[in-house]
Amino acid sequence: MSDPGGTDEIEDVDPGLAGARTELAWTRTAISFAAVGVVLLRHHPLVGIPVLALSLLVWELGRLRGNPATRRARHLQLITAGITGIALAALVITLATGW
Amino acid sequence: MSRADSPGSEGSAGSPDSANGPGRPDPASAAPVAGEREPDARFTWANERTFLAWSRTALALVVGGLAVAQLLPPFPGVPWARHVIGIPLILLGAVIAVLCYTEWQASQRALRRGEPLPRSLLPRLLAGTIAVIALLAAVLALVSAVTSHP
Repeated sequence: MSDPGGTDEIEDVDPGLAGARTELAWTRTAISFAAVGVVLLRHHPLVGIPVLALSLLVWELGRLRGNPATRRARHLQLITAGITGIALAALVITLATGW
Repeated sequence: MSRADSPGSEGSAGSPDSANGPGRPDPASAAPVAGEREPDARFTWANERTFLAWSRTALALVVGGLAVAQLLPPFPGVPWARHVIGIPLILLGAVIAVLCYTEWQASQRALRRGEPLPRSLLPRLLAGTIAVIALLAAVLALVSAVTSHP
């Protein structure tokens, strides 16, 4: 953390940068969901619309501040559930099409 | 004390007791329990970013698998080849999505206890499975080439 020599890293001066990087990571994740939602919307709107809604939710969750450890678990569970749901839909779509 | 310590101490402000009553920590919250201490918020954020990066990888694998099965033209002579390549990619994406959450939980727990971080299974799983799928794709392309041009 603090360096007596005065060579603190920039995050020791402003630890908020780590929070900003995390917020950007949430933004990238939201954009990924949005891109997948747009692709799915063209051929499978029933799957694409919920994925687009999820991308908006992920975008908003990334902007929430506060205690990261206690608030985040449920938010991260939502992302895990979203991806496994998309995987399940992808599996059904793939198996339903001809071999 | 550097200012960097302040986010960590802020992090301990919202203990599970406030939301669930004393002695009833919410297991889903990954909040500290007795004998544990909320780490510096920067470590928590770094752990969260790792989870998000793996989640995006999982999403890319699912969509990649779907694209292989839906958008690639059928392999001549091996029409089921697209599914054999695409379905494992989709399944791998789902497995990584679940495992990266459990690894986030394990890392958060280790940070709170001041223990070494657990070794991640995900890089080996991803590398191994992608290698097997790539090998499978190469074999299927070869079989397709041989059967369609005897």
